[in-house]
Amino acid sequence: MAVELFDVTKTYSGGAGVRALDGVSVGFAAGTFNAVMGPSGSGKSTLLQCAAGLDRPDSGKVLLAGQEIGQLREPQLTQARRRLVGFVFQSYNLLDSLSLWHNVLLPQRLAGVRPDRAWAREVMRRVGLAGREQDRPAQLSGGQRQRVALARALAARPEVIFADEPTGALDLATGREVLDLLREAVADLGTTIVMVTHGPAAAARADRVVFLADGRITTELAAPSAEQVAAQMTAVTNGRAVASVGSNR
Amino acid sequence: MIRLAIATLRRHRGAYVGTFLATVLAVALLAGGGLLLYSVLIAEPPADRFAATTLAVAGDREISLETVTTKQKKEGKSKVKRKVKSERLTGAGTLPADLAGRIAAVPGVAGVVADAAFPVQVTARDGRALRGADDAPVIGHGWVSATLTPYTMRTGRPPGTGEVVLDADVAARGGVRVGDELRVTTRTGTRTLRVSGIAAPAGRDGLPAQGALFLADGDVAAVSGLAGPTAVGVFGAPGTDVAALRARVHAVAGDAQVLAGDDRVRADLPGALPDYIGPISIFGFVIGITAFAAVFVLTGTVTLSVRQRLRELALLRAIGATPGQLRRLLGVESAVLAGFAALPAAPLGVLFAEVVAARFMTLGAVPAQFTVRVNVPVLLLAAVAGVLVTFVAARIAGRRAVRIAPTQALVETATAPASGTFVRALVALVTAAGAVGVLSFVPLDGPLGMGMSFVSSALLLCAVAAVGPLLVRLLAAVVARPFGLGGLIARTEHRRVAAVAVPLVLMFAINTVMLLNSALLSRLTGQEQVAREAPATAQVTGDGGLPLDTARRLADVPGVTGVAAQLPTRVIVAQGGKPEDYPAQGLLVGGPDTALDLDVRAGALTADGFAASAALVRQYGWRIGDRVPLWLPDGKQVQLRLSMVYGRARGFGELVLPAGLVAAHDPRGLVRTVGLRYAPGTAERIHAEFPALRLVPALDAAPAGDASNQQGAWELMVVISLGFTAIAVVNTFAIAAAARRREYADLRLVGATARQLQRLAGGEALVTVIVGLLLGSAVTGIVVGAFSAAQDGVLRWIVEPGTHAVMVGGVAALGLLAGVLPTRLMVRRRSLATQV
Repeated sequence: MAVELFDVTKTYSGGAGVRALDGVSVGFAAGTFNAVMGPSGSGKSTLLQCAAGLDRPDSGKVLLAGQEIGQLREPQLTQARRRLVGFVFQSYNLLDSLSLWHNVLLPQRLAGVRPDRAWAREVMRRVGLAGREQDRPAQLSGGQRQRVALARALAARPEVIFADEPTGALDLATGREVLDLLREAVADLGTTIVMVTHGPAAAARADRVVFLADGRITTELAAPSAEQVAAQMTAVTNGRAVASVGSNR
Repeated sequence: MIRLAIATLRRHRGAYVGTFLATVLAVALLAGGGLLLYSVLIAEPPADRFAATTLAVAGDREISLETVTTKQKKEGKSKVKRKVKSERLTGAGTLPADLAGRIAAVPGVAGVVADAAFPVQVTARDGRALRGADDAPVIGHGWVSATLTPYTMRTGRPPGTGEVVLDADVAARGGVRVGDELRVTTRTGTRTLRVSGIAAPAGRDGLPAQGALFLADGDVAAVSGLAGPTAVGVFGAPGTDVAALRARVHAVAGDAQVLAGDDRVRADLPGALPDYIGPISIFGFVIGITAFAAVFVLTGTVTLSVRQRLRELALLRAIGATPGQLRRLLGVESAVLAGFAALPAAPLGVLFAEVVAARFMTLGAVPAQFTVRVNVPVLLLAAVAGVLVTFVAARIAGRRAVRIAPTQALVETATAPASGTFVRALVALVTAAGAVGVLSFVPLDGPLGMGMSFVSSALLLCAVAAVGPLLVRLLAAVVARPFGLGGLIARTEHRRVAAVAVPLVLMFAINTVMLLNSALLSRLTGQEQVAREAPATAQVTGDGGLPLDTARRLADVPGVTGVAAQLPTRVIVAQGGKPEDYPAQGLLVGGPDTALDLDVRAGALTADGFAASAALVRQYGWRIGDRVPLWLPDGKQVQLRLSMVYGRARGFGELVLPAGLVAAHDPRGLVRTVGLRYAPGTAERIHAEFPALRLVPALDAAPAGDASNQQGAWELMVVISLGFTAIAVVNTFAIAAAARRREYADLRLVGATARQLQRLAGGEALVTVIVGLLLGSAVTGIVVGAFSAAQDGVLRWIVEPGTHAVMVGGVAALGLLAGVLPTRLMVRRRSLATQV
């Protein structure tokens, strides 16, 4: 298992004290493409943040590549994260003051390892941005930026790539290209991908889809079609006692 | 619009803290400086010695010159322009001796008093000098003057010949009782007089700011050396109309002024009233510096904060706001902000004025009687100025920012359209040219030197601020290389680096220039004094000064081969219709050897000619042999021939006149120091003959008091501007750091540890500091170099290695601290997930 969560609970203080995760246990096998789905406020993003070590669960255990990260304190946690994990976010999160090339090499520079330049060039070629290394993020379209973010994640050869709505800000065609690249990473490089998404079409590209509602895992589907995912989503959403009012941001 | 503006302000409370803080401080400084200048401008003499009189008659206490220029206009018409310029006298002229009698004969006059006022040096038996409250001078009068105030006897009886009456305040301070003997020194000599009584004005022990010593009326002429009364007090008969009486007295008074009401105080001796001329220029300078720093800092802060809201502005554009609306929004927002900032700023300004005034009074640069007057219009004016500056700065910063395309709001990052490089370069060129003009055409070794070096550094700073982003891009490209990722970010974020580096440049340049220039001046002054007095074996001084006659007798002591007695005074020179007051010396030289080396450049001292410093001769274009009109402290005009030009004027005076002439026309007229050259063994003879005098070997002579006063005032000004600019630096760094939250969050996501972020911020801060110091050193070097070269032809950049090092180190330390600390707080406080 590349990522394992055991009985993870997370409550956000303030307001009503929302229980975002309520005893979630789930594992994501190495070299697989996983999608996490659920209505807004179901705890998708919290699950991802806890699994990736961006946030700490209130209780329960999180294992990243077999290592329990709940025990780690800063800066060991950050070091473990940058060794094992890559990120792709809806809002790209590139550094505007750095060129694409520097952005892609940034995690390795921060880790203090000698950047694998040949591999970085190969990654840039794979995402179709060879020759644009010296451009700035501001000069790119949204799809191109997301591909840079993906290149940045891949350049460090992580065990797991966590993707939070990677296609959320992209049009269908561009989104499909990004998903193709993610699939390729799983197939060619054996990377594990955990992707949070709203889109049934995006989720249908995954090997496995986990459904979340009110902080609990309700069902999961193996290699479903987009129609199956959509049907399951409708069921999950209607199954809730009250209409969803929260937001997952 | 205003509701929207207030709503934005409330929503972005955090983001505005920086601007708010800068505005509060700027307005407080403006208010404080304004109050100081206002208070000193309206400062009134604290007490009226002529309180009991109806009218006071006195000669002019200023030299006024009228220039009439006739402008030929078309159609044969001509326009006559009259300009009156005046300069205040430091002494009082005398009135005709028979004037009092003539006024007494005017109908409606019940009585007249011919008043004499002259400074006296009073020493008690034990050798202590007697002074009034707050070290006020003691002024001598005839007993008849007691009725002007009036002073009435407390104990004892009025003075007979050889006797004096003291006011109760001076007597209490000196522990003097009736029957004691006092030594009284005036320009006519030293006398021992017996205290016959103690007198006081009604309800108090003495007048503030001046002590009183009354002589027998018959002794006045001999002791004071005055040829007539300095004023005439007039008592009107009961029921007389003051205005009518004034007109009738005026008719017989000739050139003399007839003063009524609050103006009567102007009939008093100028030296007996606190002198506010020096403080006016000091406080003028304070407000000049603070106003420049305040406006400079405020503009920078407002610009920075507007630029950081580009995204929000773009968003507003996207939902339909026109550029005009955004400009208005920014303007109103900043005006509201500044308006609120003015509320705490006003009391802060009053506090600032009080603290600064107190410090200056302790230094002796401002009379102890000075009080800060809180004036609401001045405070309002400061607030309005603050609002105006923020408003204009926001509009200018907004002008570029609001042109941002609405589509930018939808893009991840908004960038302002490239700034007008041409406009920036033009502004920089004009201001830099102005600075070069000031530095090359204004004589920096003259009295304007310090002020002009400040003006030129201010102009250079404006140039640096204008081309800051361009300069920083060039410099950072070189400087940033060794600083890895932080340097890389600094290089691409050159605008942010520039915004933060400019206050550093301001802080370093303006304070270093002031410190180094004033240190250079005081060092040169000290050196010149040592060089001037080098030929003398010893300097002779007495308590508060000695009569000229004593100096003459010193010259006659066997064994003395050279003597040079200096009588400090002020002389007014007029050229082009503008009278100007200069420090001068009455000089008595004698003996075969010289005891004073003035570094004579041309000519030689003659008994009835005058000498002038090379700087003054150059300024007025005089030549040896020219006859020049000069005014002495009592208003007496003399025509003297220029006979010598000398070099060593610092801490001495710009003009040298015959000592006898000065002693006759300066109310004090006392010798400050006598340089003596003598054979071994003569010192004992002098001690025996003049037991009250002090002999100081030439090398130990203390530097002139004025110079150290000025040095202190400069240092205080530097402290003020250091404090303000330091706060500005910290503030700017904090604003810049707050805007980097997003950048930090992104960095954290890709795996940067908290420590790495701090190192990154440190790297950028280091680049910023180095860039700031380089630019600051360039400004400092240009101004200090030009100033130094103008003083004595020697080009210096690092005048005082110690001071320079402290400034470099202090500014660097502050910049690094301010660059690292906010990041440290921010990174630590926020949990990672909330940064995503």
